Amino acid sequence: METLDCLGKRCPLPIIEVAKKIADQDPGFKVLLLSDDPASAPDLVAWARMTGNSVEVIDQKTFEITKSAN
Amino acid sequence: MALPHIFEASWPDPTKLGVDSKSAAVLLNESKETFAGHLKVRSDEINFLGEPNLGFYLGIAGLLSTDSRLVYSNIDRMEIFAIADSLGPNSSPLQLKASKTGQIDFAGLAPKDLATLQLCNRETGTIQSQRELNCESVFVDATASGIRIPLPQNWSTALWESTSWAGPSGLGILAVSKKANWKNPLPHLDSRINPGPTSLPLIVASALAIDSWAADEKNLSAKIAAINLDIRNYITNNIPDSDLAPHGADHLISASFLYVNAEQLVTTLADKGFAVDSGSACSATNMQPSHVLAALGVLTQGNIRLTIHHAITFDEVKTFLEVLKATVEELRK
Repeated sequence: METLDCLGKRCPLPIIEVAKKIADQDPGFKVLLLSDDPASAPDLVAWARMTGNSVEVIDQKTFEITKSAN
Repeated sequence: MALPHIFEASWPDPTKLGVDSKSAAVLLNESKETFAGHLKVRSDEINFLGEPNLGFYLGIAGLLSTDSRLVYSNIDRMEIFAIADSLGPNSSPLQLKASKTGQIDFAGLAPKDLATLQLCNRETGTIQSQRELNCESVFVDATASGIRIPLPQNWSTALWESTSWAGPSGLGILAVSKKANWKNPLPHLDSRINPGPTSLPLIVASALAIDSWAADEKNLSAKIAAINLDIRNYITNNIPDSDLAPHGADHLISASFLYVNAEQLVTTLADKGFAVDSGSACSATNMQPSHVLAALGVLTQGNIRLTIHHAITFDEVKTFLEVLKATVEELRK
Protein backbone atom coordinates (compact mmCIF):
# COMPACT_ATOMS: atom_id res chain seq x y z
CA MET A 1 0.00 0.00 0.00
CA GLU A 2 1.21 3.49 -0.83
CA THR A 3 1.86 5.94 2.00
CA LEU A 4 0.97 9.62 1.74
CA ASP A 5 3.06 11.59 4.23
CA CYS A 6 1.23 14.78 5.20
CA LEU A 7 2.91 15.22 8.58
CA GLY A 8 3.27 18.92 9.37
CA LYS A 9 0.64 19.96 6.80
CA ARG A 10 -2.39 21.87 8.04
CA CYS A 11 -6.04 21.43 7.13
CA PRO A 12 -7.37 21.31 4.45
CA LEU A 13 -4.14 20.15 2.69
CA PRO A 14 -4.07 16.49 3.87
CA ILE A 15 -7.62 15.85 2.60
CA ILE A 16 -6.95 17.67 -0.68
CA GLU A 17 -3.90 15.45 -1.20
CA VAL A 18 -5.89 12.29 -0.43
CA ALA A 19 -8.59 13.31 -2.92
CA LYS A 20 -5.95 13.99 -5.61
CA LYS A 21 -4.18 10.71 -4.89
CA ILE A 22 -7.28 8.54 -5.35
CA ALA A 23 -8.87 10.57 -8.18
CA ASP A 24 -7.55 8.47 -11.07
CA GLN A 25 -7.45 5.15 -9.22
CA ASP A 26 -9.76 2.15 -9.49
CA PRO A 27 -12.36 1.38 -6.80
CA GLY A 28 -10.78 -0.55 -3.96
CA PHE A 29 -7.51 1.43 -4.19
CA LYS A 30 -5.99 1.92 -0.74
CA VAL A 31 -3.62 4.54 0.59
CA LEU A 32 -2.15 5.05 4.05
CA LEU A 33 -2.26 8.69 5.18
CA LEU A 34 0.03 10.05 7.86
CA SER A 35 -1.25 13.33 9.25
CA ASP A 36 -0.74 15.04 12.59
CA ASP A 37 -3.19 17.87 11.95
CA PRO A 38 -5.82 17.86 14.73
CA ALA A 39 -8.60 18.37 12.17
CA SER A 40 -7.68 15.27 10.12
CA ALA A 41 -9.37 12.65 12.32
CA PRO A 42 -12.83 14.30 12.43
CA ASP A 43 -12.59 15.62 8.87
CA LEU A 44 -11.58 12.34 7.22
CA VAL A 45 -14.65 10.72 8.76
CA ALA A 46 -16.85 13.59 7.49
CA TRP A 47 -15.13 13.45 4.07
CA ALA A 48 -15.81 9.71 3.84
CA ARG A 49 -19.49 10.29 4.69
CA MET A 50 -19.77 13.05 2.08
CA THR A 51 -17.87 11.33 -0.74
CA GLY A 52 -18.75 7.66 -0.12
CA ASN A 53 -15.12 6.59 0.29
CA SER A 54 -14.10 4.77 3.45
CA VAL A 55 -11.63 5.63 6.16
CA GLU A 56 -10.26 3.47 8.90
CA VAL A 57 -8.73 5.42 11.77
CA ILE A 58 -5.73 3.31 12.80
CA ASP A 59 -4.52 5.85 15.33
CA GLN A 60 -4.87 9.63 15.62
CA LYS A 61 -2.10 10.13 13.04
CA THR A 62 -2.57 7.13 10.72
CA PHE A 63 -5.54 6.55 8.44
CA GLU A 64 -6.26 3.85 5.84
CA ILE A 65 -8.36 5.18 2.97
CA THR A 66 -10.20 2.97 0.48
CA LYS A 67 -11.67 4.38 -2.72
CA SER A 68 -15.33 3.53 -3.23
CA ALA A 69 -17.03 2.22 -6.36
CA ASN A 70 -18.70 5.52 -7.26
CA MET B 1 -32.42 57.53 25.65
CA ALA B 2 -29.48 58.45 23.43
CA LEU B 3 -26.06 57.04 24.21
CA PRO B 4 -24.32 60.33 25.25
CA HIS B 5 -27.14 60.96 27.72
CA ILE B 6 -26.71 57.47 29.18
CA PHE B 7 -23.07 58.24 29.95
CA GLU B 8 -24.02 61.60 31.45
CA ALA B 9 -26.76 60.22 33.69
CA SER B 10 -25.01 57.07 34.83
CA TRP B 11 -21.52 58.20 35.84
CA PRO B 12 -22.16 58.31 39.63
CA ASP B 13 -21.84 55.23 41.83
CA PRO B 14 -25.46 54.12 42.46
CA THR B 15 -24.54 52.83 45.94
CA LYS B 16 -23.52 56.29 47.25
CA LEU B 17 -25.77 58.91 48.84
CA GLY B 18 -25.60 62.03 46.63
CA VAL B 19 -28.48 63.24 44.50
CA ASP B 20 -26.71 62.15 41.32
CA SER B 21 -26.08 58.74 42.85
CA LYS B 22 -29.75 58.42 43.69
CA SER B 23 -30.77 59.07 40.10
CA ALA B 24 -28.12 56.56 38.97
CA ALA B 25 -29.64 54.04 41.41
CA VAL B 26 -33.05 54.68 39.86
CA LEU B 27 -31.60 53.98 36.40
CA LEU B 28 -30.02 50.77 37.67
CA ASN B 29 -33.28 49.60 39.24
CA GLU B 30 -35.29 50.43 36.12
CA SER B 31 -32.80 48.46 34.04
CA LYS B 32 -33.08 45.48 36.40
CA GLU B 33 -36.86 45.57 36.11
CA THR B 34 -36.59 45.69 32.31
CA PHE B 35 -34.31 42.63 32.27
CA ALA B 36 -36.46 40.79 34.82
CA GLY B 37 -39.47 41.23 32.55
CA HIS B 38 -37.75 39.87 29.46
CA LEU B 39 -35.71 37.12 31.14
CA LYS B 40 -38.68 36.00 33.30
CA VAL B 41 -36.73 36.07 36.57
CA ARG B 42 -37.11 38.22 39.69
CA SER B 43 -35.17 41.49 39.61
CA ASP B 44 -33.41 40.56 42.86
CA GLU B 45 -32.12 37.39 41.16
CA ILE B 46 -30.27 39.45 38.54
CA ASN B 47 -26.53 40.14 38.75
CA PHE B 48 -24.53 42.02 36.15
CA LEU B 49 -21.08 40.87 35.07
CA GLY B 50 -18.44 42.96 33.34
CA GLU B 51 -16.75 39.69 32.34
CA PRO B 52 -19.59 37.61 30.87
CA ASN B 53 -17.57 34.38 30.75
CA LEU B 54 -16.88 34.61 34.48
CA GLY B 55 -20.57 33.69 34.78
CA PHE B 56 -19.82 30.09 33.78
CA TYR B 57 -17.59 29.69 36.82
CA LEU B 58 -19.82 31.62 39.24
CA GLY B 59 -22.95 29.86 37.99
CA ILE B 60 -21.50 26.34 38.12
CA ALA B 61 -18.93 26.34 40.96
CA GLY B 62 -21.42 28.15 43.23
CA LEU B 63 -23.80 25.17 42.93
CA LEU B 64 -21.23 22.40 43.45
CA SER B 65 -21.06 20.74 46.83
CA THR B 66 -18.86 17.91 48.04
CA ASP B 67 -21.46 15.27 47.19
CA SER B 68 -22.66 16.64 43.85
CA ARG B 69 -21.43 15.53 40.42
CA LEU B 70 -21.04 17.93 37.49
CA VAL B 71 -22.77 16.58 34.36
CA TYR B 72 -22.09 18.52 31.16
CA SER B 73 -21.98 17.79 27.44
CA ASN B 74 -19.40 17.60 24.66
CA ILE B 75 -21.03 20.54 22.84
CA ASP B 76 -20.95 22.80 25.91
CA ARG B 77 -18.75 25.90 25.86
CA MET B 78 -15.00 25.37 26.43
CA GLU B 79 -15.35 27.47 29.61
CA ILE B 80 -17.35 24.56 31.07
CA PHE B 81 -14.73 22.02 29.95
CA ALA B 82 -12.15 24.13 31.82
CA ILE B 83 -14.28 24.09 34.99
CA ALA B 84 -14.71 20.30 34.77
CA ASP B 85 -10.93 19.91 34.31
CA SER B 86 -10.20 22.11 37.31
CA LEU B 87 -12.31 20.13 39.79
CA GLY B 88 -10.51 17.98 42.36
CA PRO B 89 -9.61 14.32 41.75
CA ASN B 90 -12.62 13.03 43.73
CA SER B 91 -15.26 14.92 41.78
CA SER B 92 -15.35 12.72 38.59
CA PRO B 93 -17.48 14.96 36.35
CA LEU B 94 -19.49 13.23 33.62
CA GLN B 95 -19.38 14.39 30.01
CA LEU B 96 -22.46 13.36 27.99
CA LYS B 97 -22.13 12.88 24.22
CA ALA B 98 -24.49 14.70 21.88
CA SER B 99 -26.24 12.70 19.16
CA LYS B 100 -25.51 13.55 15.50
CA THR B 101 -28.37 16.03 15.65
CA GLY B 102 -26.88 17.63 18.77
CA GLN B 103 -29.41 16.32 21.29
CA ILE B 104 -28.24 15.32 24.77
CA ASP B 105 -29.76 12.33 26.55
CA PHE B 106 -30.09 13.35 30.22
CA ALA B 107 -31.82 10.10 31.27
CA GLY B 108 -28.88 9.02 33.44
CA LEU B 109 -28.96 12.03 35.78
CA ALA B 110 -28.81 11.21 39.50
CA PRO B 111 -30.89 13.22 42.04
CA LYS B 112 -27.84 15.03 43.54
CA ASP B 113 -26.31 15.97 40.15
CA LEU B 114 -25.54 19.47 38.92
CA ALA B 115 -26.33 19.48 35.20
CA THR B 116 -25.44 22.13 32.63
CA LEU B 117 -28.12 22.85 30.04
CA GLN B 118 -27.22 24.75 26.88
CA LEU B 119 -30.49 26.12 25.52
CA CYS B 120 -28.94 26.90 22.14
CA ASN B 121 -25.47 26.21 20.74
CA ARG B 122 -23.81 29.40 19.60
CA GLU B 123 -22.06 27.77 16.63
CA THR B 124 -24.70 25.52 15.12
CA GLY B 125 -27.88 26.89 16.69
CA THR B 126 -28.75 23.43 18.06
CA ILE B 127 -31.68 23.75 20.48
CA GLN B 128 -31.99 21.16 23.24
CA SER B 129 -35.44 19.62 23.13
CA GLN B 130 -35.24 18.14 26.64
CA ARG B 131 -35.05 21.17 28.91
CA GLU B 132 -36.70 20.00 32.13
CA LEU B 133 -33.96 18.05 33.90
CA ASN B 134 -34.47 15.74 36.81
CA CYS B 135 -31.71 16.67 39.26
CA GLU B 136 -30.96 18.98 42.18
CA SER B 137 -29.24 21.85 40.35
CA VAL B 138 -29.29 23.11 36.78
CA PHE B 139 -26.95 25.72 35.30
CA VAL B 140 -28.54 27.17 32.16
CA ASP B 141 -26.31 28.53 29.39
CA ALA B 142 -28.55 31.04 27.65
CA THR B 143 -25.65 33.00 26.14
CA ALA B 144 -26.61 32.16 22.54
CA SER B 145 -30.39 31.88 22.92
CA GLY B 146 -30.89 35.21 24.65
CA ILE B 147 -34.62 35.59 25.21
CA ARG B 148 -35.67 33.30 22.33
CA ILE B 149 -36.06 30.23 24.55
CA PRO B 150 -37.63 30.37 28.04
CA LEU B 151 -35.83 29.06 31.12
CA PRO B 152 -36.80 25.58 32.31
CA GLN B 153 -38.91 25.41 35.51
CA ASN B 154 -36.16 24.13 37.79
CA TRP B 155 -33.26 26.39 36.77
CA SER B 156 -30.78 27.21 39.54
CA THR B 157 -28.42 29.64 37.82
CA ALA B 158 -28.61 31.08 34.30
CA LEU B 159 -26.21 33.11 32.18
CA TRP B 160 -27.01 35.53 29.33
CA GLU B 161 -24.80 37.69 27.15
CA SER B 162 -25.89 41.19 26.19
CA THR B 163 -24.74 40.69 22.57
CA SER B 164 -27.50 38.07 22.05
CA TRP B 165 -30.08 40.90 22.01
CA ALA B 166 -27.77 43.16 20.01
CA GLY B 167 -26.75 44.98 23.19
CA PRO B 168 -23.21 46.18 23.93
CA SER B 169 -20.49 43.54 24.38
CA GLY B 170 -18.71 43.11 27.70
CA LEU B 171 -21.87 42.62 29.72
CA GLY B 172 -23.26 39.37 31.07
CA ILE B 173 -26.25 38.68 33.28
CA LEU B 174 -26.09 35.91 35.84
CA ALA B 175 -29.37 35.03 37.51
CA VAL B 176 -29.21 33.05 40.72
CA SER B 177 -32.55 31.54 41.67
CA LYS B 178 -33.80 32.27 45.18
CA LYS B 179 -34.56 28.54 45.40
CA ALA B 180 -30.99 27.51 44.52
CA ASN B 181 -28.48 26.38 47.08
CA TRP B 182 -25.76 28.71 45.79
CA LYS B 183 -22.58 29.70 47.62
CA ASN B 184 -20.13 32.27 46.30
CA PRO B 185 -17.07 30.31 45.07
CA LEU B 186 -14.91 33.48 44.96
CA PRO B 187 -13.21 35.07 47.99
CA HIS B 188 -15.79 37.53 49.36
CA LEU B 189 -16.64 39.55 52.47
CA ASP B 190 -20.24 40.47 51.74
CA SER B 191 -23.28 39.05 49.98
CA ARG B 192 -22.49 40.47 46.53
CA ILE B 193 -22.49 37.77 43.88
CA ASN B 194 -20.00 39.42 41.55
CA PRO B 195 -17.04 41.45 42.78
CA GLY B 196 -18.19 44.34 40.55
CA PRO B 197 -18.70 47.18 40.01
CA THR B 198 -20.20 46.73 36.54
CA SER B 199 -20.45 49.63 34.10
CA LEU B 200 -23.84 51.31 34.60
CA PRO B 201 -23.77 52.92 31.10
CA LEU B 202 -23.43 49.41 29.60
CA ILE B 203 -26.29 48.10 31.75
CA VAL B 204 -28.62 50.96 30.73
CA ALA B 205 -27.65 50.65 27.05
CA SER B 206 -28.25 46.90 27.16
CA ALA B 207 -31.66 47.37 28.83
CA LEU B 208 -32.68 49.70 25.99
CA ALA B 209 -31.33 47.17 23.49
CA ILE B 210 -33.30 44.24 24.95
CA ASP B 211 -36.55 46.26 24.76
CA SER B 212 -35.96 47.18 21.14
CA TRP B 213 -34.71 43.68 20.20
CA ALA B 214 -37.82 42.04 21.71
CA ALA B 215 -40.11 44.40 19.79
CA ASP B 216 -38.24 43.74 16.52
CA GLU B 217 -38.18 39.98 17.06
CA LYS B 218 -41.99 39.86 17.08
CA ASN B 219 -42.08 41.40 13.61
CA LEU B 220 -38.94 39.91 12.13
CA SER B 221 -38.66 36.32 13.35
CA ALA B 222 -40.58 35.05 10.31
CA LYS B 223 -38.15 36.88 8.00
CA ILE B 224 -35.13 35.40 9.83
CA ALA B 225 -36.65 31.90 9.47
CA ALA B 226 -37.22 32.43 5.74
CA ILE B 227 -33.66 33.72 5.24
CA ASN B 228 -32.30 30.69 7.09
CA LEU B 229 -34.16 28.35 4.73
CA ASP B 230 -33.02 30.34 1.67
CA ILE B 231 -29.38 30.08 2.73
CA ARG B 232 -29.65 26.36 3.48
CA ASN B 233 -31.39 25.58 0.20
CA TYR B 234 -28.97 27.67 -1.84
CA ILE B 235 -25.88 26.06 -0.32
CA THR B 236 -27.29 22.53 -0.65
CA ASN B 237 -28.36 23.02 -4.27
CA ASN B 238 -25.62 25.25 -5.64
CA ILE B 239 -22.36 24.59 -3.79
CA PRO B 240 -21.19 20.97 -4.14
CA ASP B 241 -19.29 19.19 -1.34
CA SER B 242 -20.84 21.37 1.35
CA ASP B 243 -21.87 20.19 4.80
CA LEU B 244 -24.47 21.99 6.91
CA ALA B 245 -24.87 21.49 10.64
CA PRO B 246 -28.45 20.38 11.46
CA HIS B 247 -31.03 23.20 11.50
CA GLY B 248 -31.55 24.65 14.99
CA ALA B 249 -32.22 28.27 15.94
CA ASP B 250 -33.12 30.30 12.87
CA HIS B 251 -30.54 33.05 13.40
CA LEU B 252 -27.54 30.70 13.26
CA ILE B 253 -26.09 28.61 10.43
CA SER B 254 -22.84 26.65 10.33
CA ALA B 255 -21.68 25.55 6.88
CA SER B 256 -18.48 23.77 5.83
CA PHE B 257 -16.94 23.39 2.40
CA LEU B 258 -14.66 20.50 1.50
CA TYR B 259 -11.14 21.31 0.18
CA VAL B 260 -11.42 24.96 1.26
CA ASN B 261 -9.09 26.82 3.61
CA ALA B 262 -11.37 28.60 6.11
CA GLU B 263 -8.91 31.37 6.87
CA GLN B 264 -8.80 32.31 3.17
CA LEU B 265 -12.57 31.99 2.92
CA VAL B 266 -13.22 34.27 5.91
CA THR B 267 -10.68 36.91 4.82
CA THR B 268 -11.90 36.90 1.20
CA LEU B 269 -15.52 37.31 2.37
CA ALA B 270 -14.38 40.11 4.73
CA ASP B 271 -12.66 41.88 1.80
CA LYS B 272 -15.96 41.72 -0.05
CA GLY B 273 -17.84 43.25 2.89
CA PHE B 274 -19.22 40.21 4.72
CA ALA B 275 -18.28 39.52 8.36
CA VAL B 276 -18.48 35.80 9.15
CA ASP B 277 -16.88 33.68 11.86
CA SER B 278 -15.31 30.22 11.52
CA GLY B 279 -14.93 27.06 13.58
CA SER B 280 -12.06 25.67 11.52
CA ALA B 281 -8.68 24.91 13.09
CA CYS B 282 -6.76 27.26 10.81
CA SER B 283 -8.81 30.24 11.99
CA ALA B 284 -8.71 29.35 15.72
CA THR B 285 -6.16 30.84 18.10
CA ASN B 286 -5.39 27.38 19.53
CA MET B 287 -5.26 25.76 16.04
CA GLN B 288 -7.87 23.19 17.14
CA PRO B 289 -10.99 22.54 15.09
CA SER B 290 -14.36 23.37 16.66
CA HIS B 291 -15.17 20.74 19.30
CA VAL B 292 -18.87 21.24 18.51
CA LEU B 293 -18.54 20.42 14.80
CA ALA B 294 -16.30 17.44 15.62
CA ALA B 295 -18.83 16.16 18.20
CA LEU B 296 -21.66 16.36 15.66
CA GLY B 297 -19.56 14.75 12.90
CA VAL B 298 -19.84 17.89 10.75
CA LEU B 299 -16.85 18.75 8.53
CA THR B 300 -14.59 21.23 10.36
CA GLN B 301 -12.50 22.44 7.39
CA GLY B 302 -13.68 25.37 5.29
CA ASN B 303 -16.23 26.26 7.97
CA ILE B 304 -18.16 29.51 8.29
CA ARG B 305 -20.66 30.51 10.96
CA LEU B 306 -23.39 32.90 9.98
CA THR B 307 -25.48 35.02 12.32
CA ILE B 308 -28.63 36.44 10.73
CA HIS B 309 -29.33 39.79 12.36
CA HIS B 310 -32.70 41.55 12.32
CA ALA B 311 -31.56 44.21 9.85
CA ILE B 312 -30.35 41.73 7.17
CA THR B 313 -32.35 41.96 3.93
CA PHE B 314 -33.16 39.30 1.31
CA ASP B 315 -31.17 41.30 -1.25
CA GLU B 316 -28.07 41.30 0.97
CA VAL B 317 -28.44 37.54 1.46
CA LYS B 318 -28.75 36.97 -2.30
CA THR B 319 -25.55 38.96 -2.96
CA PHE B 320 -23.77 37.17 -0.14
CA LEU B 321 -24.69 33.73 -1.46
CA GLU B 322 -23.46 34.56 -4.97
CA VAL B 323 -20.18 35.87 -3.52
CA LEU B 324 -19.89 32.78 -1.30
CA LYS B 325 -20.37 30.40 -4.24
CA ALA B 326 -17.81 32.26 -6.40
CA THR B 327 -15.32 32.43 -3.51
CA VAL B 328 -15.59 28.71 -2.69
CA GLU B 329 -15.08 27.87 -6.39
CA GLU B 330 -12.10 30.21 -6.62
CA LEU B 331 -10.43 28.80 -3.49
CA ARG B 332 -10.88 25.22 -4.71
CA LYS B 333 -8.88 25.87 -7.90
